[in-house]
Parts: sequence; C-alpha cells; structure tokens
Amino acid sequence: MLGHGWGFAWPNDCRIIYNRASARPDGKPWSERKKLVWWDEEKKQWAGLDNADYPKDLAPETKDNLKNGKGVEALGGARPFTLHPDGVGWLYVASGLKDGPLPTHYEPLESPVANPLYKQNANPAALKRERPDNPYANSPGDPRFPHVLSTYRLTEHHTAGGMTRTLSHLAELQPELFTEVSPELADEIGLTHGDWATISTPRAIIEARVLVTRRMRPLWIDGQRVHQVGLPYHWGYKGRVKGDVVNDLLAISEEPNVRIMETKALVCDIQPGRRPHGRELLKELEQKMEPA
Amino acid sequence: MSVTAFLTDSTLCIGCKACEVACKEWNGIGEDGLDWSGFSYDNTGAVGASTWRHVKFVEHAPEPGFGGNAPELNSWAFSSDVCKHCEEAGCLEACPTGAIIRTEFGGVYVQPDICNGCGYCVVACPFGVVDKNRDDGRAFKCTFCYDRQKAGLVPACVKACPTESIKFGEIENLRGKARERMAELHLRGMTDATFYDASDSSVAPMPCSSYAAIRAATTCRPSRKCLRFI
Repeated sequence: MLGHGWGFAWPNDCRIIYNRASARPDGKPWSERKKLVWWDEEKKQWAGLDNADYPKDLAPETKDNLKNGKGVEALGGARPFTLHPDGVGWLYVASGLKDGPLPTHYEPLESPVANPLYKQNANPAALKRERPDNPYANSPGDPRFPHVLSTYRLTEHHTAGGMTRTLSHLAELQPELFTEVSPELADEIGLTHGDWATISTPRAIIEARVLVTRRMRPLWIDGQRVHQVGLPYHWGYKGRVKGDVVNDLLAISEEPNVRIMETKALVCDIQPGRRPHGRELLKELEQKMEPA
Repeated sequence: MSVTAFLTDSTLCIGCKACEVACKEWNGIGEDGLDWSGFSYDNTGAVGASTWRHVKFVEHAPEPGFGGNAPELNSWAFSSDVCKHCEEAGCLEACPTGAIIRTEFGGVYVQPDICNGCGYCVVACPFGVVDKNRDDGRAFKCTFCYDRQKAGLVPACVKACPTESIKFGEIENLRGKARERMAELHLRGMTDATFYDASDSSVAPMPCSSYAAIRAATTCRPSRKCLRFI
C-alpha cells in the first residue's frame, strides 16, 4: 500500500517520516483508517503497515530522562518527531528560523493583493537584491502586471531541461514551451489556443504557445478576480527542442530561510502574439516599465 | 508455457509516460516528431508504427462561470493504451503472409522479416493499433516484449511503471485481481468502473479460451466518473 521497496524512501524503507505520531502516546493508533504503526505488546516492539520511524523497541510508556539522559536517549517513548532535539512537533520554533518563532502569512514580494492579515505586505526578512537589472513590480497591485504567474515542472523534463532537451525520447513528449491560461483569461484578452502569447515581468519578455485549459481557473480574492498564468520552465536556446528561458522572468530574491527565489508566485502581463527581438525587445521592456 | 497478460488500471495512472519511453528505449524505436499538439499534455497522439504505448490525457473540468476554488469539480484522467493482443485478433486473421503469429505467451506478434507491407492488418484492427512504417511500409505494433518474455523478463512498460498501474502476469491471476479491484472501486463510489477483457475485443467473440489477453483503455470518455479499470 505504501510502495515499500520502490524508489525513494527514508532510511529503513520507512515511507512516512515521524509515523510514530500516527499512534497515540500509549502506542495505539489514533485512527483505524489512517493507522501506520503501533506498539505490539506481545513482541515488545513497533509493528505496522510502515516501518517505524522510531527506535524499534522503545516502549510508549518509557519515561523521559531529561536530567541525566544523553542526547536522544534522554527522550521517552512518546516523542515521535525524531529529527527535533526534543522529539516533539513545533508550532513555536525556538531557534533556527530567521523569521520565526511563529508561522504567519505574508504575500509574495510581488502580489496583486494586499496582505489580509497585517499591514506588512511581504516578508521583511526576505532579501530583494534590488538592482537596475533586477527590478520589481509595485506591490500590492501593479496595473502593468495584473496577473499571477507560476512556473513549474513537467514530468518529462529535468529542471531547466539542459539534459532532457537533448534526449529525443523525452524531447518529443514535451517539444515546445507553452503557457497555460484559463478560458476566461483567453476570452478577456483575446488569446487563441495554439497561437503565440507574449509574457512579461519587470525583468524580461518571453513568448510561448497558448494552451487554454479549464485546469487553470481565475481566483476570487477579496472580491477581486485574479487570473493565473502557468509556465513550465524547461526550455532554452540549445537542444533538440528550444524555447524562451522562463527563469528570465523571475526576480533574483531570497527567502530568509531556504534562500530560494519566488518561482510560484509573482506577477506578469500576458498579451496575444509574438515578442520582438534584440534591441526592439529591450525597448519594449523599457516602455512596459514606464509608470502607468 | 503460461498465457500472460497486461492489466492496465487507469485509476492508478499518473500520466508520467514512463511506459512510452521504456517501450521506445527497449524496442529501439526512434523519436517520431517534435511537434507540440496543444492537446493537454499529450504530444504523442496515438499508437502507431513508431509508438507502441500511448498515454491519453483526458481533462474534465467545470463549465465556465463557476469561478475558482472548487477543485473537486476538476479532474485529469490518464490512461495508457496499448495493443490488446485480442483473443480473436483481426490483424492475425487478415494477414495473408503468415507474418502475424500467436506466440507461446499468447501475444499477437508481427514477424518483421516476413511482413510484406500489404497493410491488410491495418484496416482489420478495430483499435487502430497496427500501423505501417513510413520508411518501408511494413506493419509494426507492440510485440508484448516477446524477446524479454523469452528471457523471463516482464515487458519494458510494466517494469517502468512507477505506480503499478500496468500489471503483468498469468491471465487467470490477473482476472481475479481485476475483479477484486473493481469491487473495491465500486465500494468507494466509482460505480461506473469497469474492466475490459481481451475476449471482449475479439473480432469474433468466442467463449473464453486459453489465448492471451492484453487490454487497455480504448474508450476512456471524458467523464470524470469514468475511472476506467481495464
């Protein structure tokens, strides 16, 4: 049921990390339907559908020995979060998080809407690295870039496609860069399925084939209709199949903890037709950035 | 020799196309076009002389006007299609040269060194599986990995399938598994789940004999309830 023996797993072919938490402190499953591991009283060890992500013979009734115990051996039998020094799950993160200790919601650095929770719109600890070649849209709500843009992967290609675009058996399965839009957005701005669209952010302008699909749907956020534009990012200027570089659209920013740029949530504009080339393209980008 | 079969469970297919790639890799079939189709994520199109496995992508989504925030209305069904190796195979019946034979595993196999490219099998196949090679006109289709089975290996697509959506084994064993799985799906509310037996695909339906059965989704209609188990 859990795919034991196949593909990636945690050590000891454990499929679900911290699965001790599927059982109550006394070792019996919280839920019959969702049970994963439980304490076998007869054999005096953890048994179950998954391999326990836990010391195999650490009985649930084992008491903590925090004063004299060393390391993980100080922890009793009801502390499932084995990668945390205290063995419990954290909502309040005492150390380690740059923007802790409690989780909260920030809007992305570029967002069409304001943060519904706080006046602070985006994460103040994020590094924006603002430079002339790394500009940002106004946030919240830049009329020049009204739509949400998410970039993502396809099964057939690996990261930016440098390896898979050269393999004919993979290249033929996803041969061209496309952008996914909802029928509503296509209707609103005149995009035709199979034709070209030009997508722009403050950093770059690219072109892609239009895939109109109802899998993409407009969102209603705080009474406002927000359209989403989707772009897989696997193409470049070399290989069996070529296409514009989607990553050029992204800002070079750093989230404070993992220091990854925002690839799933930024803003863009999309227009029907192909993009200009060379100096014409730069000129268009400059015009685009002129305050509305 | 025991009669073997595929069991393709489209309710487990995630649309990764690993079966398509594994098939082409093992059988040495080249890339056959770098054209973007615009049809969901399917740029393969159909089975043919240079594609022996094909994963269909069926999008079913709510009518416009619903707005967002209702993911339960959306579905994306995948189904891996392949030669059914019919119990009474149209292609085999139509072949005038004896190039198409029934193997000891029950598969329907086109011998490429005997085929003369007449194309009778192409029109005789009710599923559009057999196809003429554009180079020399000979007919090609899934071999049921005859070479691998000879060596005691499972077919390449089965080996590659990460979700065990494509199963392989003795046909009677698989029929039992199919019935079990269908009962489970019905219990979970997918009351239109059904499975499709090789004996159904025969051009001349006969009582179930010992011939091989290979079955796949051939008519997955764009209904989100149609999680076809085949």
